[in-house]
Amino acid sequence: MTVTVSETVIQLTGACGVEEVETLVECLQEHPSLPVDLSAATAIHTALWQALMVFRPKLTEAPTSFVIGEKVMGALNAYFCENTEL
Amino acid sequence: MDELIEQFAIEARELVQQASDDLLSLEAYPGDRERLESAFRAVHTLKGSVGLFDFGPMQDVLHHAEDLLSHARAGTIAVDTTLIDPLLAVVEWVDGTIDGIAQTGRLSETQKRQATRLMGLVKADMTSLETDEPTSSPPTAIPDWASSMRQLLSSNDSQGTLVAIRYEPHPECFFNGDDPLATLSRVPDLRHIAISLKQPPSLRDFDPFRCNLIIEGISGGPLQQVESEFRLIPDQVKLVALPGMVAQINQRPPATDRQTTVMRVDPGRIDALVEIVGELVTAKNGLLPLADEARGHGSAALARRIVASHQEIERLVASLYSAVTKARLIPLEQTFRRFPRLVRETSMKLSKAVDLIIEGETVEADREIVENLFEPLLHLIRNSLDHGIETEAERRQALKSTRGRILLSARQRGDRIEIEIADDGRGMDPMRIKKAAIDRGFVSEDQAALLSENDALHFVFAPGFSTASTISDLSGRGVGLDVVQRSIQRLGGTLEMNSSAGSGTSFTLKLPISFSMSQLMVVEVGGERYGIPIADVVETQKLPGSAVQFVRAGQAFILRDRTIPLVHLDDLLLVPRKTERSDADLKVLIVRAGEGQIGIAVDVIAERAETLTRPLTGLLQGVPGIAGTTLLGDGRVLLVLSLEELIQ
Repeated sequence: MTVTVSETVIQLTGACGVEEVETLVECLQEHPSLPVDLSAATAIHTALWQALMVFRPKLTEAPTSFVIGEKVMGALNAYFCENTEL
Repeated sequence: MDELIEQFAIEARELVQQASDDLLSLEAYPGDRERLESAFRAVHTLKGSVGLFDFGPMQDVLHHAEDLLSHARAGTIAVDTTLIDPLLAVVEWVDGTIDGIAQTGRLSETQKRQATRLMGLVKADMTSLETDEPTSSPPTAIPDWASSMRQLLSSNDSQGTLVAIRYEPHPECFFNGDDPLATLSRVPDLRHIAISLKQPPSLRDFDPFRCNLIIEGISGGPLQQVESEFRLIPDQVKLVALPGMVAQINQRPPATDRQTTVMRVDPGRIDALVEIVGELVTAKNGLLPLADEARGHGSAALARRIVASHQEIERLVASLYSAVTKARLIPLEQTFRRFPRLVRETSMKLSKAVDLIIEGETVEADREIVENLFEPLLHLIRNSLDHGIETEAERRQALKSTRGRILLSARQRGDRIEIEIADDGRGMDPMRIKKAAIDRGFVSEDQAALLSENDALHFVFAPGFSTASTISDLSGRGVGLDVVQRSIQRLGGTLEMNSSAGSGTSFTLKLPISFSMSQLMVVEVGGERYGIPIADVVETQKLPGSAVQFVRAGQAFILRDRTIPLVHLDDLLLVPRKTERSDADLKVLIVRAGEGQIGIAVDVIAERAETLTRPLTGLLQGVPGIAGTTLLGDGRVLLVLSLEELIQ
């Protein structure tokens, strides 16, 4: 399992491929208030990033183990700031 | 010739070369502000020089070219191929006129007619720009999204080349296995990312498998590399090169202020110096026999003094020689810089996309070597372009990047330079070469079967051998690799080739940095004396006649458990033998031959001499086996042998 839910957090671990997107969307729908922790992810597919953009959970930790992760998370946060009306 | 025109021709050639270098570099790195400035300066100065004469339409053509460049500097038009192509055409045209101008002082009628066409090219660009400007942005202008991207960068990040990327992945792209952000992450030097949703998100009917993103980014990498990352999805990506934001233009030095500490010297004057040093070496060599003579007359003290002053003069001559040879050294750049334009033209003609990468152009070598390298290098590069690099379709099929790559690199290794020309093309197929060798009667089928792949490849150096199935107007002109090899050898160098089918061919040229002072061993056969470079000789051996064994038609002997073939120098040189061979001791030079060693028997091993061996010119140039000539101390001419050629 690369998408896991605990009582306090939704966590992405390891390489998260496109096949995980449905699991992630289910988690985000069922637990809209839980933050998402990306720190343990080693790769995140674009489809998952898109899901995060749509559901806008609180993103706690940036992924550190792959180069583009931090930049994409920065871009997501910038997008959230510019589009606060939702 | 008019001195003013002469000066103009020298300057114009330099400026044309500079402008052409800059434009080609801009094509690869459109954001390179310094190159843009430099190209502008070159064209501006050129226009200024032309203004001193009456070269008809040239002034106008350059004026419009300069205008285009100044618009690019101001950022009102983008630096791309629609800008660079006409400018390069202008530069090439000017280049073509210089020789004629140097001779006649004016443009030919054809050149004047060409000018009209060029005028159309550079003016068309201008008018489309001017008419569009007031209402909408010109076609080549930088789009809003790209310029607003640049605003986001800190000033630190916005220096140098920048490429703005706008990537709208296809909605179904996830099903194709695309991962757009992963693709973007492979772009070199990615400095900024922005992501947005194309349509406002709706939580209810959100389809996680449809891509609804617009991804924008800024890269500091070269445009070509960014392009190649997106080569499979060009329809989903827009790339725009942004001029770098360097401090403002008015800081640029005035165009006339091109002072250098370099002095122009007529090469003939340096050559005269080299000649004198050569004679000095010869004169110095005359002192040693003098010392022997003094010793013979019983004055040992005088002999010692002569030897002492010989050593002193020897030291001085050596340092004078090295100072003079240094004055003749010029960077390889002088030859290398001519290639980017040629490769560009040729690859367009062949409709192949090829990048030429040049490294180590600051390595220096003797002027004669650098200048004489142009033809052989040109031939090897054309070979790579024509036969090595595949067509785009073939490359795609072979899962290679569609752009071919030719690397031209140089480095210094001790007192030699190594130049490599490597392509990532189809390589040479040993089987095809074997087949061609059989067809052309170089070997029989049985012999060919025994040849190793590496040996088979070396047939390409055989005179009259060409495997090209179609003769193109580029390299199929009957000039083969054998000619290239010979011209490299004439410069005292060697040519090696490596090729692996499917992944490319590389040629390595090893050349001396200059025609150096070399140590010669003087030997005698058939009453004649010859010089052999000591560098070729591994050792000398005295061999009892009985040690020679007859192996089929040849001879050999055993030295330290190795069988070494033996040849007689008089046979190699086809000189009549003075004495019949007996069982007397043989004097043998052990020399390197390819991977192994070979013994060469001579009559007498005489003294050693230090000389300045110059490549042959004139009549002797075509004589195989002779590397050059040198004068001995007593004024006699000594032929210096090239053993490698002789043994072949």
